[in-house]
Amino acid sequence: MEKACIDINELINVFSTDRGSVYQSDKLNCFYVDFGGKFARYNCLSLQKLKNIVEGIDVEALLLNTNKADFELITFNGCDHIYLLSALEIVSLKELLQGAFTMFKLNHLISDCLYRLTV
Amino acid sequence: MKDLMRIKCLISQDIEALLNQQIKKEAHSSSLYLAMSSWCDQNGFDYSADYFAKQSEEERAHQLKLFKYVLDMGGNAISPEVTGIKTDFAGFREVFEDALEAEIAITQSFKNIASRCHKEQDFVTMEFLNWFLKEQREEEYKARRALELFEVIGEEGTGRWEIDKHVNKITYSEQ
Ligand SMILES: [Fe+2]
Ligand SMILES: [Fe+2]
Repeated sequence: MEKACIDINELINVFSTDRGSVYQSDKLNCFYVDFGGKFARYNCLSLQKLKNIVEGIDVEALLLNTNKADFELITFNGCDHIYLLSALEIVSLKELLQGAFTMFKLNHLISDCLYRLTV
Repeated sequence: MKDLMRIKCLISQDIEALLNQQIKKEAHSSSLYLAMSSWCDQNGFDYSADYFAKQSEEERAHQLKLFKYVLDMGGNAISPEVTGIKTDFAGFREVFEDALEAEIAITQSFKNIASRCHKEQDFVTMEFLNWFLKEQREEEYKARRALELFEVIGEEGTGRWEIDKHVNKITYSEQ
């Protein structure tokens, strides 16, 4: 159902890898993360939280710890989604989110310049 | 594409992280001064104990000022965890040496944030930081002056008692 809204809300592809994509909706002021078979909606705050959590996972420790499965459950308060990801998927999600945030930064630099020039 | 992060928050993620680090540092300073106050009190330096208790309160106020700014700008202010506070000092003089060292570190830290603000052209945060940069003049002056008393008065005889009495009277004026 959510996928059906994509066209209506004119999603902008912020960043994609071969494992997933991050989209932005200028109409709804929100983001969509297409990853691990989920198409999940986030606002600014929750997307940042997701990024912080994913970045905080020590993948190396996860792989070296023989007492635990190499899977990690990712969710947080106020998040409607739960991801169960393997170490490899965590690396992919990290890459995806870091790429998206780099694009946000770039977009900020550009709009900052343009805004100052036009006003 | 809309700059959604910017709509939500005036400061960048980097500046926000630096300010959160500073919040932690001010909380650390506040706890350190309180530890110094405790040590002074237990060793009979009551005036210095008062002086450090007041300093501790000031540091707490600094922490809250930064905290409020981050929130007001739309950022995420993080309540810090404070650990590893030094509670034992070799002597009266060491307390003041540590106090000056801590203030110098704080000044350096603010200079670091200021340089990041310049790099990003974040003049709004820069203007906010000016208050702290000015405050550090006073903080370093007071800490340095306290240490100077050890030279001027000397620790021999009733020296420490005399120093203690003067510590509480240290003030700074720009004029
Ligand atoms: Fe301070
Ligand atoms: Fe201070």
